[in-house]
Amino acid sequence: MKKRRSDSLLGMAFFGPALVLLTVFLFIPMVLTLVFSFTDYFALNPNLTRFVGLKNYVGIFKDELFLQSFFNTVRFVLIILPCQGLGALGLALLINKVTICKKYFKVAFFVPVVMSLAVVSTLWMQIYSPEGILNTLLGNLGISAQPFIHSAKQALPSIAVMSVWQGMGYQMIIFLGGLQAINPGLYEAAEMDHASEWQKFKDITLPELKPLCVFVFITVTIGAFRMIVQPMVMTGGGPSHSTYTMVYNIYETGTVNWEIGLASTMAIVFAVFVMALTIVQTILTRDKEENHVDKKAKRN
Amino acid sequence: MLTKKQKGINWLLTVGLLILSLFFLFPVVWMLANSFKPDAAITADMNTVAAFIPPAPGGSFFDNYLSILTNTNFLRYMVNTLFYAAILIVCGVVVNGLAGYALAKIHFPFRERWVLLILLLQIVPMETIITIHFLMIARVGLLNTVVGYILPMIVNPFNIFLFRQVFINLPDDVYEAAQLDFCSPLKYFFTMVLPMSKTVVATVSVFTFLNVWNDYLWPSLVFTSSNLLTAQIGLNSITSNENTTMGQTLAVITMVTIPVIIIYSLFSKQIVEGVTSTGSKEG
Repeated sequence: MKKRRSDSLLGMAFFGPALVLLTVFLFIPMVLTLVFSFTDYFALNPNLTRFVGLKNYVGIFKDELFLQSFFNTVRFVLIILPCQGLGALGLALLINKVTICKKYFKVAFFVPVVMSLAVVSTLWMQIYSPEGILNTLLGNLGISAQPFIHSAKQALPSIAVMSVWQGMGYQMIIFLGGLQAINPGLYEAAEMDHASEWQKFKDITLPELKPLCVFVFITVTIGAFRMIVQPMVMTGGGPSHSTYTMVYNIYETGTVNWEIGLASTMAIVFAVFVMALTIVQTILTRDKEENHVDKKAKRN
Repeated sequence: MLTKKQKGINWLLTVGLLILSLFFLFPVVWMLANSFKPDAAITADMNTVAAFIPPAPGGSFFDNYLSILTNTNFLRYMVNTLFYAAILIVCGVVVNGLAGYALAKIHFPFRERWVLLILLLQIVPMETIITIHFLMIARVGLLNTVVGYILPMIVNPFNIFLFRQVFINLPDDVYEAAQLDFCSPLKYFFTMVLPMSKTVVATVSVFTFLNVWNDYLWPSLVFTSSNLLTAQIGLNSITSNENTTMGQTLAVITMVTIPVIIIYSLFSKQIVEGVTSTGSKEG
C-alpha cells in the first residue's frame, strides 16, 4: 500500500513537468481555439468580444478569400500527393533493384530533404526567375521563357513541383526500408513457381508494402495540407492570391489582422479536415486490404 | 549468380538512374557552383556548361561568403540557432524523457489513459494553435525573448511516446538493485536510464536539432528584433535585402545548410532508423 502511494507520487513528479507544459501549450490552446471560434475576438480590442454562435463558420464559407485558400490547398494536395508518393515508390523500387552505386543514389535523392523549406524556396526563386537557369535550359530546348512563380496560372504548380522535389527523398527512404524488410523467402518461393517480375511485384511487393503506402500517403497529404512557408517566402501568397493556402490564411488573419475569432474558426476547419483525412484514408485503405484478402480466399 | 540478361538490365537501370539523379540534383549543383562567382560571371555562364562548374580557386573565390560573414549579422544568427537548439535538446530530453519513463515504468493513476492521450495529441496539427501560442506569449510580454521562443517547444508528445517505447523494454532488476542501494529515482534516471538508452537520446536530440534549425513559422512570429533571429529567418532578411547579390544569396543558403549536412553525415544511421521506424510503427 505504501509502495503504491509513493509510486503515484513519483509518477506524477516525473510526468508533472511534461503535463504542465502539455496543459499550457496544447490543451488550453486547443480549448481556446474552439471557444474563440464562436466569438468575434479582435485582439486589439478584446473588451468588445461577444459570442456570435456559428456566424464565423457560416461567414468563412461565404468568404471568397477563404474559399480560394481552401481550393488552393486542395490543388497543392492533388499535385503533390500522386507525384511525391508514386515518385518515391518508383525511386525506391529502382534503387532496390540496382546493385551498382546504390549508396550514391540513396544520398543523391535525399539531398533536397536535408535543405530547409526557406533554403529550398530561396534557391528555387533564383531557379524560376525570368532570366534564371531553368528558363535558360528550356530556351535551349526551344521552349519560350515561362513566368513560373510570377504568374497566377503557373505559381501554384511551380511551388508544388518544388515541394515534390524536396520531399520525395524522405519517403523514398521509408519505402526502401520497407522493401528490405520483405522476407526474401517469398521471392524465392515465387521464383520456384516461375513467377514473372510483374507477378512478383503485384503479388508480393505491393501487398507487403501496403501498410507503408498508407502511412506515406497520409503523411504526404497532411504535409501538403500544411503548406505555408514556400508561398510565404516565394510569392507572399500571390500573384492575386493564387498560392494563398489555408494555413497562410489562418496565420495572417490571426497574427497580422489580429482577428483571433475568425482565425480560430479557420483553424478548427483546417484541423477537422486534416484529422478527417487521416481517418478516411485509413478506413479506405483498410477496406481495400480486406477486399484483397477476400479475393485471395475466393481464388483458393 | 546473375544471368547475362539480368546483368544487362542492371546496367541499364544504373545508367537511367544516374541520368535521373543528375537532372534531380541540378539545382543543388548550380547553387554550389555559383555561390563562388560574382554576379557578372553567373549571368555570363548561364547559357553554358560552366553554369554547373565552380570557378577556378583564386583570390575572389570566397568573396560572397566573406562579404556575408563580415557585412551582415549572419554568423550571429547561426550562433543564436545553435544556442536555442542546445537548450531545447537538454530541456526536451529531460522533460519528455522523465514523462516517457513515468509512462513506461512507474505505476501511477490513469497511466494508460495518459498514454492514449499522448498518442491522440500527435494528430493535432501545430498550425491550428500557433495563433494562440503567439497570443499567449505576447500577452505575458515574452515576445522577442529566448524564453518566449523556447517554452512552447519543449514538450513533444511524439518524443514522449518514443522514450516510452524504449524505456518499457529496460530490465526491472537493475532498478530494484539501485533501490536497495538507496539510489534516488531521479539519480537513477540520469545515471542509469539515460546512459542505457543512448540511441533514443541521440535520435531525439538529432530530430530536435533539425527541427529547431529548420523551423520557420514560430521564430518568424516570436522574433522581430534583429539580434535574436534564427538562421532561417536571418537568411530571409538578408536575401530579401536589395543590396544582396545573387551570388551572396547562394552563399547564404549554402552556409545555412552546412550544419545540417554535418549532422546528417554524423548521425545518418540514427536518422534513417528513426525515419523508417516511424514508417513501420504506424503501419
